[in-house]
Amino acid sequence: MIAALALVGGIYAAFAPSTAASGEPVLDGAAKQGQLLYNDSCISCHGNNGQGVEGRGPSLIGVGSAAVEFQVTTGRMPATRQEAQAERKTPVFTDEQAQEIGAYIQALGGGPQLPEGTDLRGDNIAAGGELFRVNCSSCHSFGAGGGALSSGKFAPSLDESTDREMYAAMLTGPQNMPVFGDNQLSPQEKRDIIAYVQNMKAHADQGGLGIGRIGPVSEGLVIFLVGMVVLIFATLWIAGKS
Amino acid sequence: MTDTTHHAAGHAADEEFDADDPRMTRFDLVREGARRDGVEIVHYEPRFPVPGTRREKRIVRSLALMFLLVGLFATAFVVIYIAWPWHYSISNDNAKWFTPILGLTLGLSLALLGVAMITWGKKLLPEEIAVQDRHDGPSDSTEAKLTGQTILNMGDELGLKRRPVLGLAALAGLAPLGAVAAAPIIGGLIKDPHTTGPKLADGQKSSILTTTGWTPTEANPGPIALTREDGTKIRPEDVSVGGQMTVFPGIPGGASNEYADSPTLLIHLRDDDAAALEATLINENKGPVEGFNWKNYVAYSKICTHAGCPASLYEQQTNILLCPCHQSQFKITNNARPIFGPATRRLPMLPLALDPEGFFVAGIVQKDGSIVPSGYTVPVGPGFWERSDKIS
Amino acid sequence: MKKPKVDIAALPGASAREIDDRLQVATPLRRLFNKVFPDHWSFLLGEIALYSFIVLLLTGTFLALFFDPSMQEVVYNGSYVPLKGISMSRAYETTLNLSFDVRGGLIMRQMHHWAALLFMAAIVVHMLRVFFTGAFRKPRELNWIIGLSLFWLGFTEGFAGYSLPDDALSGTGLRIASAIMLSIPVVGSWVTTSLFNGEFPGQDILPRLYILHVLLVPAILLVLITVHMALLVKQKHTQWPGPGRTNHNVVGIRMFPAFSVKAGGFFMIVFGMIALLGGIFQINPIWLFGPYKAAVVSAASQPDWYVMFLDGSTRLMPPWEFRGSLFGYHYYTLPPLFWPTVVLPGILTVLPMLYPFMEARWNKDRQSHHLLQRPRDVPNRTALGAMAVSFYLVLTLSGGNDVIADKFHISLNAMTWAGRVGLLIIPPLAYYVTHRICLGLQQHDREVLAHGVETGIIKRLPDGRFMEIHQPLADVDHHGDGDGHGQLEYAGWVVPKKMNRVGALPPTERGFFRPVEDATQREDGHVPEMSAEEKHQAEILSGD
Repeated sequence: MIAALALVGGIYAAFAPSTAASGEPVLDGAAKQGQLLYNDSCISCHGNNGQGVEGRGPSLIGVGSAAVEFQVTTGRMPATRQEAQAERKTPVFTDEQAQEIGAYIQALGGGPQLPEGTDLRGDNIAAGGELFRVNCSSCHSFGAGGGALSSGKFAPSLDESTDREMYAAMLTGPQNMPVFGDNQLSPQEKRDIIAYVQNMKAHADQGGLGIGRIGPVSEGLVIFLVGMVVLIFATLWIAGKS
Repeated sequence: MTDTTHHAAGHAADEEFDADDPRMTRFDLVREGARRDGVEIVHYEPRFPVPGTRREKRIVRSLALMFLLVGLFATAFVVIYIAWPWHYSISNDNAKWFTPILGLTLGLSLALLGVAMITWGKKLLPEEIAVQDRHDGPSDSTEAKLTGQTILNMGDELGLKRRPVLGLAALAGLAPLGAVAAAPIIGGLIKDPHTTGPKLADGQKSSILTTTGWTPTEANPGPIALTREDGTKIRPEDVSVGGQMTVFPGIPGGASNEYADSPTLLIHLRDDDAAALEATLINENKGPVEGFNWKNYVAYSKICTHAGCPASLYEQQTNILLCPCHQSQFKITNNARPIFGPATRRLPMLPLALDPEGFFVAGIVQKDGSIVPSGYTVPVGPGFWERSDKIS
Repeated sequence: MKKPKVDIAALPGASAREIDDRLQVATPLRRLFNKVFPDHWSFLLGEIALYSFIVLLLTGTFLALFFDPSMQEVVYNGSYVPLKGISMSRAYETTLNLSFDVRGGLIMRQMHHWAALLFMAAIVVHMLRVFFTGAFRKPRELNWIIGLSLFWLGFTEGFAGYSLPDDALSGTGLRIASAIMLSIPVVGSWVTTSLFNGEFPGQDILPRLYILHVLLVPAILLVLITVHMALLVKQKHTQWPGPGRTNHNVVGIRMFPAFSVKAGGFFMIVFGMIALLGGIFQINPIWLFGPYKAAVVSAASQPDWYVMFLDGSTRLMPPWEFRGSLFGYHYYTLPPLFWPTVVLPGILTVLPMLYPFMEARWNKDRQSHHLLQRPRDVPNRTALGAMAVSFYLVLTLSGGNDVIADKFHISLNAMTWAGRVGLLIIPPLAYYVTHRICLGLQQHDREVLAHGVETGIIKRLPDGRFMEIHQPLADVDHHGDGDGHGQLEYAGWVVPKKMNRVGALPPTERGFFRPVEDATQREDGHVPEMSAEEKHQAEILSGD
């Protein structure tokens, strides 16, 4: 009995995430690599052991490797300046390095993780579309081109987003994006949404040039800048200035 | 010259003209016809008086080419219309070319036809300048007087002046007839908003302006469960911290457009944000709002109080809910009060409770733990004239 | 028996005689053929609207054969995979069918929608031309009012039209329309409940909008367009001042064949343009929007461009709501939506209709005008027009302020404030600047009339001064101090300001596709004779 307790206790102690932020966590290979990378780049704003620095960077305890992967593979982190919202830019780290940093942060404080495997695309595009329109299009717009939020913030375009990035974003709710946990949008539903978005991006517009897929604004510009301009030139040719 | 003398002179010239005179050229006849229509052709220069010049042949050739191209493009349109694999399917990559190619062929065919016609007009038709008299201004004064007197005579013939009773009787009779014409259109269309809502649980009539799908009615006395779009009920752990979910009343058709004023946003706030909200609610505890949140969960109407669009852009860190239509912004932790944009009223809060099975329902928790079914306690959506709640 | 011979050559003449026996068409027909139309590019703008309308009728008829405005809920089972199995209204389903399952349906839909946008754009440009040249003055006030009515009817027709597919974007617009009606004092709730036959959206709004869109409004449009053109034919077109033109004649080309060929050709060009737009540029991709559901909305939600100014006015309106009890009886609310969406369009409808009469009263002008005015010659009106246009532009741009904010990385809140402040500041600024520009242009005209055209040739005088040689436009007055002022009066038409416009130099480029080297290669082989004066000038300018 005691041995069983000791065994369970030992196993628990070995595998439990470290809750003592000040203590040195137990790190495996990837997480150790991640720590080296973290201490080189991220520590200046996010502090020792991911605790955060007042006025510079929030604590990363509990954000999970998914959040780290999202921010780093899209190049948003490391951020180059303080602004209303971090922007996607050329990533500093490779995908593998991003996963290593993620493993380190996961070891520090736990949190949501991306599922195993590389197949994050579902097969029910129609269901994904319904979910996209109820949950996502209000910020990212029907054509996934992005949209403005208040005071300089914005929901980015999904044009460059990969399956992994979209999954991670839904799971972790980066910056002002709401969190869509697995109880709200099941992994299958997330996969279906990703399938819908990628299908929409891949398939060309059926009616000609998409002109941004943002609707009446670009249509109004086209009718004046293309339609009326050409027709007015035609009137000048037909009747001139007599 | 006044109009009449001009006219008379014209008539005299008309009579003198002999259309059968063999010395008249065709253009003389044309000129005379124009003159009778008040038109003087002051300049008329055929562009190619000498037939067969190189210039003329070149223009004719280019016009002929244009017309041939018109036919070519039109034929291409018909051929592609019939033969192209146009039907949409996931694997058919050629379908996306159907519309652009049709547009190109039809557009070029028509545009070239237009260009050809105009080139014909500009380059081949004679250069001409014609002048036409306007003959504007009021009618001849005699004519005007004659017409005026004719109209007055009509009035005399009808004899309303002598028979005032007739006029009055006609008016008195016709007025209701006018109402007859208007009655079906207006009467048939008119619908009373104040009494045509669903029947309430106590049998009373309701107004569509103050009821939603969450209102307990005779048919659905409640407490009505919060459901997703597919109808499944919702537990607290379904919404993560910093997350929001669109929920609908758990009644038949609750997620459809039949209850277009019922979509609700269920938000799971962080601890400190929830505390800020609670403080606001306690502060406001004068009106119907009495802490309808359930722990850190709060539900607000998704229907913007400005013009009715779904206000759904939730910024989880700033706790601002933005409506995309006219950019009204609502501060969730301040009880969804508008802080920017044209909206003037806060979003109504849906009273949240947890039923014995652990699902969210719409109702007010009483002191003894029981749940009184309740929908929104203020009207949902845009404002209207009869709205008499003074709080915002 | 002899077979009766049909003389083909005499057929047209014989038919004409038969028709004339019955209808006496000889004189009226010739009167029509000989009608004179003045020639200027700006007179063709209204035609763009007319031809777009015809295209709308043609494409609309095709669409009506496949569209069903029913709001009954169905499950989609057509070709478009991303919507398969989704529940939607029949209206949305038939629109999807047109887009994916009817041969050529998509280009018809797109042509129809582009033609509608072009119709409204042409009306606005045409209206501005009429306004800035003063063509609305007596006797054409009625035509001006009809034209404004055509704009608002087209507005209604377009709104009804793009709401018919019942997609999420236009459905949101219908929701806002319902809220607008709701905001009307006293009767608002009755108006919206009656129109929608119950609560929004109900089951009847689309069939009602359909009848409005395919029957009622097109009928009124046809009647008004016919009256508009009939008035134009009766009163004859206005014309620019110039040589031989008076207030009592029309100088131009006759209707047949010259004018009709040009008009018919232009019809084909407009039609072709609509076809090109309909094929090349996607418009209203409703399959991306999904069917209308009350909980669904998109960032970047706007109405079509001609409604966008109302969206802008709604976004900019501050949250000013009036609440209070009337006569101590009941407590009432006047929502802020009322002012930018009901009162503003009301003012914008009535005020322009009254403008011709107001301007006539200000100027104490009771005469009939058939000669146009150059915008620079009426600085007050032109500046007023610039003010109106800038007001309209600020509103329209504000209607798209979230798109501008997103694409140019500007704060959304800042865009709203920029619109609010801009709406008040930019119109008066536009008035002032336009007025000054008009005055400047007028002054330059008179300067050139007095001093002649600048030749660009600088001459040095013996005492060392530099001066530019000016080419006088008329005989120079050598009396008195002989300062060389011309005697010309401004005649209301363009003053030539370049040497190649007074015939002293050949025009810069002749020929359309290839430049033509010398005058002998003119298209019609006609070599103009140079006058002695012109030869003299050419000598000076050749530099020998």
